[in-house]
Amino acid sequence: MAVTTRTATAAPPKEGVLRKLRSASIGFWFMSPAVILVVLFFFIPSIIVFGLSMTNLSTSTGFQNYDWVGFENYHKIFTHPDAGPTALRTIFYVGATLALFNVGMALVVALLSTHIPRRAGFIFRALWLLPRLTPSVIYIMMWKFMAAASPYGILNRYFPFLGGQNLLPDAPWVFVILTNGFIGASFGMILFASAIESIPRDFMNAALVDGCNAWQRIRYVILPALRWPLLFVTTYQTLSLLTSFEQIFILTDGQFGTEVWALWSYHRALSNYWGNFQWGFGAALAVVLVVIGAVAAVIYMRFFQFNQLVQEPLVEAL
Amino acid sequence: MNADRMTWRERFNSAAPIIALSILTFPIIIGFIWIFISTFSHTTYGLEPQGRLTLENWSFLWKDPKIWDVTLNTIILSVGQTIGVVALSALSGYALSRLSFPGRKTFLAMTLILHSFPAVTLLIAIYFVLRWINRIPILGNDIPIIGGFGYNTLGGVILVQLALQLPLGMWLMKGFFDNVSWDLQRAALIDGCSHFRAWWQIILPVIRPGVAALAIFSFVTGWGSFLIPYTFITDQENSVLAAYLRGMMGETAPVSYGTVAAVGLFQLIPVMIFFIFTQEYLMNIFSGGSKGGT
Amino acid sequence: MEVSLENLTKRWGSAIGTENITLDIKSGEFVAFLGPSGCGKTTTLLMVAGIYKPTEGFVKFDGRIVNRVQPKDRNIGMVFQSYALYPHMTVYDNLAFPMKLNNTPANEMKKRAQRIAEMMGISHLMDRKPSQLSGGQQQRVALGRALTKEPSLLLFDEPLSNLDARLRISMRGEIKRLQLDLGITSIYVTHDQIEAMTMADRVAVMQGGHLQAYCPPSELYDQPVNLFVASFVGNPPMNFVNVEVHRENGNYHAQAEGIDALVSPKRGTVAAGRGQVVLGIRPEDVSIVPADQGKGIPGEVYVVEPMGRDDLVEVSIGKVKVHALADREKNYNIGDHVRLKFDAEKIHFFDPSTEKSLLWN
Repeated sequence: MAVTTRTATAAPPKEGVLRKLRSASIGFWFMSPAVILVVLFFFIPSIIVFGLSMTNLSTSTGFQNYDWVGFENYHKIFTHPDAGPTALRTIFYVGATLALFNVGMALVVALLSTHIPRRAGFIFRALWLLPRLTPSVIYIMMWKFMAAASPYGILNRYFPFLGGQNLLPDAPWVFVILTNGFIGASFGMILFASAIESIPRDFMNAALVDGCNAWQRIRYVILPALRWPLLFVTTYQTLSLLTSFEQIFILTDGQFGTEVWALWSYHRALSNYWGNFQWGFGAALAVVLVVIGAVAAVIYMRFFQFNQLVQEPLVEAL
Repeated sequence: MNADRMTWRERFNSAAPIIALSILTFPIIIGFIWIFISTFSHTTYGLEPQGRLTLENWSFLWKDPKIWDVTLNTIILSVGQTIGVVALSALSGYALSRLSFPGRKTFLAMTLILHSFPAVTLLIAIYFVLRWINRIPILGNDIPIIGGFGYNTLGGVILVQLALQLPLGMWLMKGFFDNVSWDLQRAALIDGCSHFRAWWQIILPVIRPGVAALAIFSFVTGWGSFLIPYTFITDQENSVLAAYLRGMMGETAPVSYGTVAAVGLFQLIPVMIFFIFTQEYLMNIFSGGSKGGT
Repeated sequence: MEVSLENLTKRWGSAIGTENITLDIKSGEFVAFLGPSGCGKTTTLLMVAGIYKPTEGFVKFDGRIVNRVQPKDRNIGMVFQSYALYPHMTVYDNLAFPMKLNNTPANEMKKRAQRIAEMMGISHLMDRKPSQLSGGQQQRVALGRALTKEPSLLLFDEPLSNLDARLRISMRGEIKRLQLDLGITSIYVTHDQIEAMTMADRVAVMQGGHLQAYCPPSELYDQPVNLFVASFVGNPPMNFVNVEVHRENGNYHAQAEGIDALVSPKRGTVAAGRGQVVLGIRPEDVSIVPADQGKGIPGEVYVVEPMGRDDLVEVSIGKVKVHALADREKNYNIGDHVRLKFDAEKIHFFDPSTEKSLLWN
């Protein structure tokens, strides 16, 4: 019959602070171990690094005699003779590896491996994943041997026109880019391949019916579907390359003109490169990278519409 | 008519990608073949072994006691790190996905930023954090097996590597939890589970493949880890396999490639075995995670 | 257990889930929440279950406010549309799980599980995993699981929607019978008005987050309180025509272009002299005869839909189309000229702007 309406009774009891804390506490219990570690090894170090960069702390000053030097370290960086070349090198390294491998090869391998029988494609992608999984030392050793002098080196052995000398000192960047590239390509490759494989069959069929050849299909059906993965991989891998130096460290340790910015920072602060550990200066170098990383991260959070990814849970705390 | 020519072209078209891929993948294949061959020979010119095939390079297995200490360290490191990463990521991934608490959104944003942080450049500061931990009684230096959680201890290295893997782990686990139906969660809560119970008994078993993938990836990463142990353990050549291997390598032209390759292959074998059996899991972990924007 | 909802409101930011839902459910009653998708019926159900927190208003069990009580402490059982069985547990474990969580002693657990399994007809499936069961079997296990803890309230969230038509019909009867035998207060959410009408003691019709009507099925059918309820309940749906009602010679006539229908005085008085009103008449209350065989509103057959037992004939009268249920034997065809008569006692009237019924309010 008619809908009964009752006059509104009092609103639910007011939310006390204690009540709010209690309903939130479950979340905190789950999160606390991870939060502790993240605070210990990310937040606090970030603050320390910023702080360190304002001092001249090093093993020569020791912990008793260091001074706060404000922005002097940064001034030193910008007037340092090595700063310009190192920055340029880093940009070259990041750009070249990104274009050739982390995005370039990733795309090529993803495209090729999705156009052959599934099993075969799988095997090829697995092979490309191998460099990433191999312990870096052995992986670099493999490349060192490729470049070695004859009669040992693989390249010198089968391509005598190369001259016979150890190739690393003569063409260090080739190998730096190759070693990092083969590792880096696998990330993009997997993302692109899975994006390609999730293109609905109907699009592909429609393109075939419309008479596209392979190149047209790639251009008009596949590449648009890869728009977001491409953007994501580019941004993420740029950051990755900017801050990676482990492979270069093992391969050349920065010799032959291959010291990139991150390695410069590491050398100054944590290896006896200059006879002492220059923590302050090394930290300043690191801060430059941290700032770039943070800015880039904020930018790409905007691009990827962060809010969409963070849906509120569908079970609510009472 | 043109029938025959068409089939030739068709055949070429379907073979071309495979040929192209093979050429591109060539360096990888050659590299690994070389590693394998050189462990069984004295020296190799290119890919060709000089002299007889021999097991001498593998003699370190029974001649050098250090290798087993180093291997043990590597195992402890990998296992410790894996357990830590999986446990902490599973716990926090659940909270981030399924629970509402103040600061949730901020923390999610934070982990995304951290994930793209030049984490390795924080090494300088982490050095100081570890030294500070050294000063904590017991936890700092005196735990058996792992030595403690401070600088120059295996435990310290485990903590650091574990922490650095957390942002990725948390996002991946969150992604896996997100894929579990809400109805299952609600059913568990209505049937009488507390959140912890629901997590442990109901939801976690459902995402077992995801957990396995994270564990494998974490283990493999830990097994081959070089930079962190190298930086934070002073006896650099005796910490983990990767550092030991590098110690053997020396300059750009090591003397006995064979032995070095053998040690390298020794380190590589567990990875290869894992790899052969778990390829599919690893592939899925990346594409599953990408839906969450990692 | 009695359940009462008072001004239950759920808002997410500016989006409204439900607004001011107020109704009471007697102990042992079977109530259906009926409405199209997005109307707020599931939202209301989830607030009763404790999964959602009400923005305003109260949920009361036996007079006690339970807004803050955790789902696990509300002693409720719930059956989901997707069954939500625990995939890694056997059927037996699924059934036993709620009891285990309640610390029921082991042999009592076994006994109850067996009894319920027999009641649901699944005792031969105890060792299987959910993935090895058919949809219907899974649904029974889900229902069994909801019952093993002997809850005071049973909640159903469109449990039959994923089953095929045949199975749905038989399960409907079984659930109704089960509820009668066990006497547990039940709330059943569905968008299928047939399910609601056949199973429930009272039906709450919702739309846009608001409660439209709350009464027994027969009342819902015969005395719809507004346009929405009238159109939503009943299959085939009610016809609506814009008319004006005039009094002539002591009789009431509903008139529009090409239409002149006699209305019973009781119904006519309410609608007369109000200008344009909406007339509603169900197809089964429209009788149809060939043009030469009787008096009535002239029209032409537009489309005939055989429904098995009857034919649903759509007749165009000028610009308006009206559905009528006709005897299959009559064999009407497209283009036939026919005459329609509206049952004077079954005509409904609605206010065109408020959409409220002029008769039942």
